[in-house]
Amino acid sequence: MRSLVSTVALLVVAQFAGCADTSRSRSLGDPRVAGQVMAEQVCSNCHGQRGLSRSENFPHLAAQQADYIDGQLRSLRDKHRADPAGSVYMWGIARDLTDAQIAQLAAYYAAQPAAAASPPSRDASPAGRRLFMDGSADRGVPACAGCHGPNGEGNGSIPRLADQHRAYLLRQLDVLRKGPDNRPMGTVMSPVAHQLNDDDMRVLADYISSM
Amino acid sequence: MLDLPMKASQARRVLGVGLLIAWLAGWQSPASAIPIFNRQTGQNCQACHAGGQFPELTPYGRMFKLTGYTIGSRTQIPLAMMALASRSSVRDTGKSDDPAADFSKNGKLIFASASLFAGGRITDNLGAFVQYTYDPYASQDASGKYHGHAAADNMDLRFVDRFVGSSHDVIVGASANNNPSVADPWNTAAAWMQYVPVPSPSSSQFIDGATPYPGFGTGGNTSGLTAYAFIDQTLYVEAGAYRSTHGVLAFMKLGQPTSALTRVQGNAPYLRAAYNLAFGASSLMIGASTMSSRVYDDPADTGDPATLHRYRDSSIDAQYQWLLDPHALTLQAVATRQFHRYPDFLAGQQPAFVDAQGNLLAPSSASDVLRLVRAKATYTWRATYGGGLSYFDLSGTTNSLNQTSGYDPLTGAITSSPAAAAPSTRVNGNVTGNPRTTGETFEAYWLPLQNLRIGAQYTAYQRYNGSARNYDGFGRNAADNDSLFVYAWFSY
Repeated sequence: MRSLVSTVALLVVAQFAGCADTSRSRSLGDPRVAGQVMAEQVCSNCHGQRGLSRSENFPHLAAQQADYIDGQLRSLRDKHRADPAGSVYMWGIARDLTDAQIAQLAAYYAAQPAAAASPPSRDASPAGRRLFMDGSADRGVPACAGCHGPNGEGNGSIPRLADQHRAYLLRQLDVLRKGPDNRPMGTVMSPVAHQLNDDDMRVLADYISSM
Repeated sequence: MLDLPMKASQARRVLGVGLLIAWLAGWQSPASAIPIFNRQTGQNCQACHAGGQFPELTPYGRMFKLTGYTIGSRTQIPLAMMALASRSSVRDTGKSDDPAADFSKNGKLIFASASLFAGGRITDNLGAFVQYTYDPYASQDASGKYHGHAAADNMDLRFVDRFVGSSHDVIVGASANNNPSVADPWNTAAAWMQYVPVPSPSSSQFIDGATPYPGFGTGGNTSGLTAYAFIDQTLYVEAGAYRSTHGVLAFMKLGQPTSALTRVQGNAPYLRAAYNLAFGASSLMIGASTMSSRVYDDPADTGDPATLHRYRDSSIDAQYQWLLDPHALTLQAVATRQFHRYPDFLAGQQPAFVDAQGNLLAPSSASDVLRLVRAKATYTWRATYGGGLSYFDLSGTTNSLNQTSGYDPLTGAITSSPAAAAPSTRVNGNVTGNPRTTGETFEAYWLPLQNLRIGAQYTAYQRYNGSARNYDGFGRNAADNDSLFVYAWFSY
């Protein structure tokens, strides 16, 4: 036991003396920690290794648009994005991230392979597919594909939607429908979501999550 | 100190205390009005605790614990506290010849306990969870006056690393701790399944926290070293040993009187394995643990191996969580078995009691087996409103050694008179020598703030100490012990 205690004591001294490297750090306040290390050591606890989350409570980040991740992390760090999922889980995580770390995280997740490469399923939700591809002109709902791409791949600051968890999509559509206050970067999307009723959201989420 | 009958004046005081606590909590911004780990990560309690109902951990909370409390930024003042105010009411206090002693503080609002926490992230690989608890009702003097006392509670110091590669994710660590299973991340573990602190006054002796919960023959305030690994967030294994607390680890028993310590001969091996599966918003764990120990009968006398109790504990447990905001559902189940071999001086002994006809009872057994089944379902909505239902069934062998009530050989009566040759124990006595205790607890709680939990538990008994009726020999029935426990639990 004494030798063990001595070993532990030496490790403590070594760490306090700054001998530890940051290649497996879980610090969220150290600018030396690389984005990939953060992703593997911390972010993966909810978003999964390489950005594929197991729980529907947390979005997939793999293959997400880098500009979108960058913008969202900045918005969460600065507490501009204030939907419950963002504030409960992410305000603390993002509060001390540097711009460089945010850029590294965005690049890391954008480079990860998506969950599935299968083509969109026409059978998952025909109504959802119609709404996604064509919108609803009589109700003033533009086609989702117009901005998010026909395969839901996103573009720059417009997020990738394909393969996203259904429950997460529904929750965020609901946040956006209520107005842009809690997701200021979703100002463009908010009036679109406002035109969607509950059934629209369900069929869209069915379709998008199967893409 | 709060200590009034629950009448109008008390109701006003409860409300006043609640509002004061709420004000204190709300005075700070949400990001800072929270304990160490929240200050360290900046996250809401809900991130680590299922539905915000501490201490039950979410999958993320388990990872936070298994990575040694090292996620986040080290806090300037790594301290936190919690306090509990409560009121316990036993259904029938009449079947006692000394209700003031047997149901002390019954129906009165009390400041039940307070804990100071220290720890959190120390370095990239080191973290700690250290709890020190003050009990205002730790002891009573001859006049019946209570005296408070503070002592070491749960402690867990970790050294951990996590290796992530293209095909693997392995957490390995070591924990120095003072309570078997305190390092476990699931809340079916013996150290964590019972959560609300149990007040010491005897009116709380039948509340849910005092009902049978999983445990080990080796209790707390020992010192243990365990090594663990969590592989691909699927397989968890932990192995180590516990022994009497001495030397540099003496702080793990700080403040504990000798009589409250567990003195272990040699090392008591502990082994735990669990399989964890996550799918959708669900996570499922199925696990098992085992421990063997030799514990001295008298903590003050560790010189005679003939006084050793030998325990062999084993358990299987399972936990299912479905956490999809705003819903948090948890199902838990545990089955334990404890084999207890008594030292020779306790085995084969003739009990002091006799039967109703004055005949001798069977000599005491050399060993006992205890079995416990416990299950619980909990649901919380929006991390604010919740409720739960739990079931417990303790059974085991009948042994006259465990008989604490019976017929006095001189008077032929069951009597609690100290002058009797074999005085019986009122209220929590056992006239059968059988441990069977069964019942349910219904609970409702409200979390008006993330660091304040107000709840009510009602525990109903079908059997107590082996019988549904007259279990203590004085006419007390199991249902007489049904208890209502109301609490306000605050952390900062």
